[in-house]
Amino acid sequence: MAELTIQTDAASAPLAPSTADRLLDVQAPQRPLTTPTFTIEVDGRQVTGHEGQTILEVCRDNGIEIPTLCYEPKLPGFGACRMCVVEVDGEVQPPISCSRTCEPEMVVRTQTPRIRQIRKTNLELIFSDHNAYCLPPCQNKCPSHIDIPGFLKANAEGDFRESTRIFKRTIPFPSVLGRVCPAPCEEHCRRDEVDEAIAIRDTHRYAGDQVIKDQARGTKAPVPFEVQAPSGKRAAVIGSGPAGAAAAYYLAIAGHDVTIYERDPAPGGMLRYGIPQYRLPKDEVLAPEYEGLTDLGVKMVCDAELGRDFTIDDLQNQGFDAVTVAIGCYDTNALGIPGEDAEGVIDGLEYLRIATLGLPYPGHAGTSVVVIGGGFTSMDCTRTSIRQGARAVTLVYRRDMKDMPAANEVHEAIEEGARAIFQAAPTRVVTDKQNRVTGVEFQRMRMGAPDASGRRRPEPQPGTEFVIECDRVLLAIGQGPELGWLSRGAAGVTATKNQRLAADSVTFATGRPGVFGSGDARVGSATVVEAVADGRRAAYAVDAYLKGMDLEAIRTRQTLAEPQPEFLSIVPYTSEVKEPRIRLKAMPAEVRNLSYVEYEIPYTQQEAMEESKRCLQCTCEAIGFCDLRRQGIEYGTTLQTLEPARTGLSFRSVTENRFTGANHDYIRDDSHAFILREPSRCIDCGRCANVCKEVVGAACYDFMRTGFDTLVTTPLDMSLNTTPCVSCGRCAETCPTGALMPKPRVLEKYDVDESRCILCGICVDACPYDALRCGPDFELAHESRAEPMIDLMAIAAMDRDTEMTYVRRERDWLERAQASGRQLDPGRLLPMLPSGVASNGDGHRHDENGHGGGHAHAK
Amino acid sequence: MSARILPGAKGWPRVLLSRTYDPDAGLAAAERAGAWSAWRTATTDLGPETLIRLVRDAGLRGRGGGGYPTADKWRICRAQPSATRYVVANGYEADPGSATDRTLMETDPHAVLEGVALAAFAVGATRAFVAVRADATVAVRRLAAALREADEAGLIGQDALGTGIELHIELRELQGAFVVGEETVLLRAIEGKRAMPDQRPPYPVVKGLWDEPTVVNNVATLASVPWIVTNGPTAFRKLGAADEPGTALVHVTGAVKRPGIMEVPTGTSLKAIVKAAGGATGTLKAVLVGGPSGGFLPADALHTAYGRMALHEAGAIVGSGSVLVVDGSACIVELATLLERFMSDESCGKCIPCRIGTRRLVELGERFTGGRPRPTDVQLLSDLSADIRDGSLCGHGITAPNPLTSGMRYFAAEFEQHITRSTCPAGVCAPLRVAGGVA
Repeated sequence: MAELTIQTDAASAPLAPSTADRLLDVQAPQRPLTTPTFTIEVDGRQVTGHEGQTILEVCRDNGIEIPTLCYEPKLPGFGACRMCVVEVDGEVQPPISCSRTCEPEMVVRTQTPRIRQIRKTNLELIFSDHNAYCLPPCQNKCPSHIDIPGFLKANAEGDFRESTRIFKRTIPFPSVLGRVCPAPCEEHCRRDEVDEAIAIRDTHRYAGDQVIKDQARGTKAPVPFEVQAPSGKRAAVIGSGPAGAAAAYYLAIAGHDVTIYERDPAPGGMLRYGIPQYRLPKDEVLAPEYEGLTDLGVKMVCDAELGRDFTIDDLQNQGFDAVTVAIGCYDTNALGIPGEDAEGVIDGLEYLRIATLGLPYPGHAGTSVVVIGGGFTSMDCTRTSIRQGARAVTLVYRRDMKDMPAANEVHEAIEEGARAIFQAAPTRVVTDKQNRVTGVEFQRMRMGAPDASGRRRPEPQPGTEFVIECDRVLLAIGQGPELGWLSRGAAGVTATKNQRLAADSVTFATGRPGVFGSGDARVGSATVVEAVADGRRAAYAVDAYLKGMDLEAIRTRQTLAEPQPEFLSIVPYTSEVKEPRIRLKAMPAEVRNLSYVEYEIPYTQQEAMEESKRCLQCTCEAIGFCDLRRQGIEYGTTLQTLEPARTGLSFRSVTENRFTGANHDYIRDDSHAFILREPSRCIDCGRCANVCKEVVGAACYDFMRTGFDTLVTTPLDMSLNTTPCVSCGRCAETCPTGALMPKPRVLEKYDVDESRCILCGICVDACPYDALRCGPDFELAHESRAEPMIDLMAIAAMDRDTEMTYVRRERDWLERAQASGRQLDPGRLLPMLPSGVASNGDGHRHDENGHGGGHAHAK
Repeated sequence: MSARILPGAKGWPRVLLSRTYDPDAGLAAAERAGAWSAWRTATTDLGPETLIRLVRDAGLRGRGGGGYPTADKWRICRAQPSATRYVVANGYEADPGSATDRTLMETDPHAVLEGVALAAFAVGATRAFVAVRADATVAVRRLAAALREADEAGLIGQDALGTGIELHIELRELQGAFVVGEETVLLRAIEGKRAMPDQRPPYPVVKGLWDEPTVVNNVATLASVPWIVTNGPTAFRKLGAADEPGTALVHVTGAVKRPGIMEVPTGTSLKAIVKAAGGATGTLKAVLVGGPSGGFLPADALHTAYGRMALHEAGAIVGSGSVLVVDGSACIVELATLLERFMSDESCGKCIPCRIGTRRLVELGERFTGGRPRPTDVQLLSDLSADIRDGSLCGHGITAPNPLTSGMRYFAAEFEQHITRSTCPAGVCAPLRVAGGVA
């Protein structure tokens, strides 16, 4: 008190103590204020640390990232993972930052090559004994990264609506893609290691078709995400093809007011005017799927062409906050050979445009046609020509058949009567005196060294010329975008060297603020699925732009959001039962040649479910939460063996790193109701053991065994049910990988059967959220369980039996609630119960009301 | 395993094995041989500070392999602002091929206990632990008896020697992996936890047993202290090498004529040590110095002095105090792989470089001996060894690559024969292909 007086006297103008000052006076001194601080140097930066802090804490406080796997912020540093090693000046052995206390004047380096090498070695060592995988290869390989195991699981349960919803999270058109996608996913399916790849495309086609059937009955198609509240921003999308439509779809879900401008009389772009009816029925499939756009309030302005009817300037003047150009590629490349201007040389796209309108191309019947090119357009030209009655159709491609983009369709064309010639390139068009085509001269090609695309470069062989006689030549050798509009009212938007729309591959920004470019116009002609993927990514970038985010921040976020190359596939599939793929049946070639009717016979429901069930679900539920994966990506320990592709290396060699050797294959433990243990994914960081011991006090886990076989597990690997586990879930929360997971389940709420309760109170003790309480007579308090009880965790893959039980309980609860007159939202229930498992599905006895024997309800 | 005590060379002084009494004859016999006299001197005539100064002047360094000045360790511990301090005598001789500490505890249990008492007195600890391997049954029995007698005689206890000093010494029988010999692991084991190391710093001397300042000294270090008190630091300084004076117990085994344990002044050459054990039985090919995580030294490196720094430079360690003589019938690659296997199996599994990395070293070694090396394996071995050494948590991982790295350093030709020609010059690695034919 005396000191205080002196201080007050010393001040020349003593202030009346404010309320805040008085509060400060009566408060105990706050620790951070009294902890001495000092500066240390980290990576050349002077940062402030408090006495007693570890290097890691100081770095994290100052935004310097040091990777950790075993560090649990609630506990002192443990030192098992060795990822947080740093260099400290004057020390030979690099210390670990999580348990090293800071000292004044310390000089720390966190990212030296030596340190990064140690971390990388650690990660590689972990991966060499990490008997697990991250993304399934199919999802990784899909340009749009659809959650394929997710929708296949829903399919297998017969829930095609949910399957479609999952699909629409990344691609809005499951039925369209179910017909026109080249299905790169199927090339990499792990089921191929057992017997045959899953028919991924055909199964989502079936699911999409069911939704279309429902739409015909008046049920709207599912929307993948909750539609956001209107943002008040207006976005224009130019072009309604796959890229434009996808961009519009996701922008509309994000709450923006979207208008699509379409050149043609009807939306769809290449889907409508490029792909023939027999591959993609327009009214039956395309139109209903595009209804999803109008359902979301997307406005469609047709017959409005960029450059002719309006300019970019016009749109921005009309108040559009963002303009996305997705005009596709419609300019067919020229051959650059003599005679190209002859009568009878037809642009393949022009030809298809007429044909897809259902009109016969003038004078096509009875002619002899040569189609030049190897892509989907050439295939469509070939097969449409056959359907239009051409006498002979010859497809000529300059590379080998296996290097053909449309390789998987060529056998169907041959089946239908076309002739295919490979490794030949046109040298001139032979004409008669009236400049009419009479044939095409070709030169044989030899396959040389691989080029940038990984395919072997064709080299001409002089002296091997030959002529194919014909009346018509259809050119389908690739297209570029029409960019004439760039010169009018589009200042700032530019073209690239090779005549594509110049737009960033991540932020999709063109040179003009608020204008974005996406789809084929940006990348050149590609597949539908690539265009859709590009459109979706563009939508996320545009959405971020409309929300006022920094474009460079978008770049980081987008890069992180996209899946990275595959990690591991140690697991040999030896014990799986072989069940061959169910193939789509097709009409015989003689029949399908006569019409534009879709020639593939779709699955039955039984077939679609059976085929979907073949999925091995080779995906990790911890994707997106896994620290190991994140650091593996950062330190480049990812294994990119799926990538080298066509250069003669194997697609699917066992992925290895330099340490690959013995590894452990542990048994998954799903005996506990809440916590799923997958020890093969455990990296023995000890976090669960420490948290369980030090924070919870239960001590269910510890390091067991020694040496290479050390594993953090329960004593004797017993079930968690027999440990003192209180089901708090903190172990799953702290686990840096997917070794401990909250058990996925369907149920959102529990109900209690009071007639069976013995008032033991264990549930009250165990509940981590105090959702249950002891009542006056030690009974479960009614108010705490009357209505919403326990919200459970995220839903991903799930254990079937548990799920069945809970679905049934859920349904029983719903019935009771309705019987008692309570109003309930049926949408709250997840309709996961497959048909055919009505009441007595999996060995449980049920009474006539469908109530599970052990789960009778309160009256 | 009881090993024979060898007389050593002429003129080698004895410190640790200086007292000759029957350890089963009781306290009186031991006291007649000089036991506990230093303790009486220290507690009555010297204070803790003087005692620490004596030890400092003697230049005593840790005999467990670390070589840290013992007096500094005591001083730091004494300076810690803590009410409770502990002393732990590390008699957990982890190396199954060495019996030096065990022999010391069997021969002169009172010297060990007296050293513990002196250390506890110096740092101000009232509780001390002697950690011994449970399977060293003779040592355990004699230590327990000595402890009981000392307690009953009032040498230690609630009021030791009537001076008011409180000192309780407990004997802890431990059983576990090789890694238990590491000091932080030993502390966890004494606490009753799983034997796994903790990151140093903080060193046990700041935060040790039950988070209190703890001095962990090897039993041989502690057993030197009574000698220093009795004979004075100057006498001790005259023994052995100048930078770490004193003597060390060395267990010479393998291809020698008279295997056994001898007390060797520090700085003695390996050649002299081998000679004192009767010399090699055949051609001396290599000596493995330091136990399973030690290093192979070739015959022409036998001039190396037996001391911490010299051995470190040569690629070996003092380690467990074992010197294994290898003759021409052994294959260094096979032997190194075997030792690596031991190190891998005995790892506690806590940190990744040691748990998985040493296993990968074993696999490398097995590829060499099995005739299936990969072209990148030599580089991989050196890269991985460096990363294990720099990345590991405790001494176990840091020294684990030693057998292979020292083998590669001195016996490169033999490794090369295995790797490039798939032949084993010693004819040990059985499944190797014979050049140009089938095995």
